[in-house]
Amino acid sequence: MSILKLTGISAGYGPMRVLHDLDLTVEPGERLGLVGLNGHGKTTLLSTIVGLTGWQDGSIIFEGKEIGGRRTHGVGRKTPGIVRSGIALAPQGDAIFPGLSVKDNLDSGAYTSASWRSRKRRRDSVITVFPPLGKLLKQSAGTLSGGERRMVSVGRALMSDSKLYLVDEPSLGLAPKISMGLVAALCEIDIGEGAMIIAEQNLPLLEGRVDRMLGMHAGEIKLDVGEALGDVPPSAGGMH
Amino acid sequence: MSKTSENPQTKHLVGRRAWRPAWPARPDRVLHRRRYFGTKRSVLKLSGQFNPKTLKREVVLTDKKPMFWLFGLFLLVAIPTAVGSERFLSLFGIICIYASINVMWTLIMGTAGLQSFATLATVGVGSYGAAYLSITFGLPWPLMLLVGLVLGIAMGFLISLPARRLDGLYYALLTLGLSEFCRNFVTQNEALGGKFNGALFGSARIVPSDMMTTRLGQTLAFLTTFIVLLVALAVFRWMNGGRIGLLLKTAATSKEDEAFASAIGIDWQRARMIVFMVASGVLGALGAFYSTYIGGTSLQIFSLDLLLLMLAMIVIGGLGRAEGAVIGTVIVVGITQWFTDWGPWRIVLAGALALLSVLYTRNGLFGLKEQMREIRTRRQALHRAAQTTKYAEFLPQQAPDIHDKSIIAGRTFERELREKLRGWITPEIIEEHRRSPLGQHSDHLERILNYFRKGPLPDKYAVYTEVPFQSYRVVALSGMPGVPPRIVDDKTYGSLDEAYHAVFMRRINDLKAS
Amino acid sequence: MIELIISAAVLASMYGLVAIGISFTWASIGMLNLAQGFIFTAGGYAAYLYAQTLTNMGITEGPVMSIGLLVSGMAGSAVAGLFVGSIAFLPLQDRANFRTRGLIATLAISLIGTQLWLIFFGPQSKPLPPIFGTGRIEIGSGGVSYSQLGAIVIATLMLTAVIMWMRSSRAGLQMRAMMMNPLGAAVVGVSVRVTGMRVLAISGALTGLASVMLAQTFFVSPTSGVQPLTVGLIISLAGGLGSIPGTVIAAAIVGLAEALTARYLAQSLVPFVLFGIVVLILVFRPRGLGGLLEDVRE
Repeated sequence: MSILKLTGISAGYGPMRVLHDLDLTVEPGERLGLVGLNGHGKTTLLSTIVGLTGWQDGSIIFEGKEIGGRRTHGVGRKTPGIVRSGIALAPQGDAIFPGLSVKDNLDSGAYTSASWRSRKRRRDSVITVFPPLGKLLKQSAGTLSGGERRMVSVGRALMSDSKLYLVDEPSLGLAPKISMGLVAALCEIDIGEGAMIIAEQNLPLLEGRVDRMLGMHAGEIKLDVGEALGDVPPSAGGMH
Repeated sequence: MSKTSENPQTKHLVGRRAWRPAWPARPDRVLHRRRYFGTKRSVLKLSGQFNPKTLKREVVLTDKKPMFWLFGLFLLVAIPTAVGSERFLSLFGIICIYASINVMWTLIMGTAGLQSFATLATVGVGSYGAAYLSITFGLPWPLMLLVGLVLGIAMGFLISLPARRLDGLYYALLTLGLSEFCRNFVTQNEALGGKFNGALFGSARIVPSDMMTTRLGQTLAFLTTFIVLLVALAVFRWMNGGRIGLLLKTAATSKEDEAFASAIGIDWQRARMIVFMVASGVLGALGAFYSTYIGGTSLQIFSLDLLLLMLAMIVIGGLGRAEGAVIGTVIVVGITQWFTDWGPWRIVLAGALALLSVLYTRNGLFGLKEQMREIRTRRQALHRAAQTTKYAEFLPQQAPDIHDKSIIAGRTFERELREKLRGWITPEIIEEHRRSPLGQHSDHLERILNYFRKGPLPDKYAVYTEVPFQSYRVVALSGMPGVPPRIVDDKTYGSLDEAYHAVFMRRINDLKAS
Repeated sequence: MIELIISAAVLASMYGLVAIGISFTWASIGMLNLAQGFIFTAGGYAAYLYAQTLTNMGITEGPVMSIGLLVSGMAGSAVAGLFVGSIAFLPLQDRANFRTRGLIATLAISLIGTQLWLIFFGPQSKPLPPIFGTGRIEIGSGGVSYSQLGAIVIATLMLTAVIMWMRSSRAGLQMRAMMMNPLGAAVVGVSVRVTGMRVLAISGALTGLASVMLAQTFFVSPTSGVQPLTVGLIISLAGGLGSIPGTVIAAAIVGLAEALTARYLAQSLVPFVLFGIVVLILVFRPRGLGGLLEDVRE
């Protein structure tokens, strides 16, 4: 059984429609790269899965349970429930808690009581993925640099025992070297029977690291990028 | 069945033209707009037009609002005067006073954009000051109004001091506590009637108290309140509709707006202060007028409940609009003063109305029209967005640069057509074409071929004869005169039919990929 | 002198409880709960009903009475807080202009609430039986009554408990997270609606505690919530909305100022002194004593 199955997803904000009737299936143990230019719907697709778009339509089946459906208002009202059912999102712009310490930020990711009890172990495993965070635990998250904030945001997502990890633009706004390290670390995480979707503009960062790559263009999923790199929207051309 | 739906001409009405009052123009005179004295603003928005039915020139009132205002104010003054009972006159007197206070409050909250709850505190200070001076020194009523005005301005100045530094929300909270503090002060101050639970009586009245027992006196007293309301409305119009109101609208809604206003050289802080001072002065004078109207004053003016009731009036009518303030006052004061035998329930009712309007409307009664329109547009947009799932290349909103909407429709049709044809492409069809490229075909194949034939000339495939009956090639036309076609591949075909079929297969592939 | 300090401390702790409720609510759900006065009175009346029931059963004092009074007051206010939340918070929470509309909605609730108390309990003030007994401890020249001491101790304990809970528990972390970044909170599974209601219940309970203890001297009446509401507002403003240390300091300043003015100047000047102090604080620090949170939030 596939872990996530999207059928006929349309979504947008107000009169604007961003996603056009797209289908996507993610298998267990799969690391999926989602590439495409700015404004072609990558972020919206990830937001749609957790119910953060203005309106949406279409079926989203996560582990055999329907979490999508038609919705025209109540942005984010279902999000906590969806997140609790096992989908962790590291959103664009990080959305970390600036007044809390890095430790508290990470702990806040462990929202189920089981993961809360084992939060120390989880924190340690996040630190093995992102070693720089180890020294920053006591520091307030508002004072971190861009790369560190991104690590906190992704680390917070890793603190949960989710089945599906959604990472939005891990390289956005970071120096190439830092983003390289970050993505490399992301791609080495053991996801077991879960799955991970990484949305990314920078194609070479993901090449060879993910199991499957899809291109997004104008709100639709294009061919597998592996077969038809030339078909991928200008991003590919721009990057090479 | 109504007559209109039977009439084929009116069946497809796409909207109704709004009715506007018009009257015949004087042929001997140029259309003359009256202006407010000293300003360039016209009293009524008039325009001349030619009536195609009567073949006469006429004058049209473009903005109907003054008509409704005139009618509403006429009702407000006519009903109580005509009925003439004491209860009616005093009810409408109170409505007029509260409405004037609310109009000024609207000026402060809407035009100046200051979330101040110190309205009743200002009114109360004017009221107590004037009543106290009148009782102690025997001030006549015109001087009382003057004292109220001065006290109001002074109070306004004091209250406005923190406004420059504080955020809207902080300021609202700070001023909310003010009237409660004033109440405390009065209760504990003997000179201000602390002994009699804050009641001060015996100040001068505009209409002498011995006349107040007659119907004439009561009517006169009511008329003074009505005049006061007119004055308040005039001040509102003068401030809100004038230059200063325009300046403030630039800085009205957000921090960015304020920054923008400063950037283009508008001193909105100063404008805001001027509006606030003027409104406070009028509020103080209103307080003094209240004292002259009931011949004294009482602590009720500082009570939080009255403040909340006034807020309810504004909220029900719609924040930021003078007509909202007046209508809201009529509704709430009507409920609370008329159904006195309901006891506290009438205030519960008024509060519930305010609660309902804040929960379900965006801006009270007078915001309903806009809200309905917005709901409708959103519904339409969502509907349109949902509809385009299958057919459209893009939404009209996404192609704002295409002005000719028929192009969008055309592309939509093409896409639909391609989708349909694609479904018909089967091995059998291809086999049929291979057997006989020319001649009679099955319906589906014929339609597919027709679609290919009507394709645009640029890049259209054609057959090129290298050696007749021996070697043929597939070429693509350039579509431009003088530019030769290009050869698409290096294959040659031995017969014309084979070449025809090769062209067909290329087109089929293109159709599949589109 | 001691009496002065004691009375200042009592005032500070009582007002502080109300102010922290207001401040906390605003910081976590972005709604200014001006129905706090209504919630305050609800606690008082709940305790009154409880006392009446017990008195009818023949119990007039003892631990059942004292603890029961405190608990019933807190419970009553917490329920009132949930009631306010279900009317003004849940339906408006994700609508346009939530802040202004929430403020107006809570004001409307407080208007309705006062009248409802008037309908159900009448205009007379209702006394509550003493919680801490009626004795006095003499210290040097002055003394302190049991009820003053009890008020200070319980308020301090309660506040410390709430702050500790906020610091260490998962629910507390979620609330703090929601104050910082609502989107981030949603992404880590914190439901704004559920947590918001929880916050309203807790700040209601704090207010209820203050209500029961203030009722020892001022009784319960339909309008008894107005004064605590205004002073609570003033304190939470001066403390900087959302900052607990700031609020505590502001409460101490306001309590001291009120006690000093009442003693050395005149009771009638208290409002103006308080108002002046707050305006001064706000003029020099427009975000209040501890109001750094605002900046962080933006």
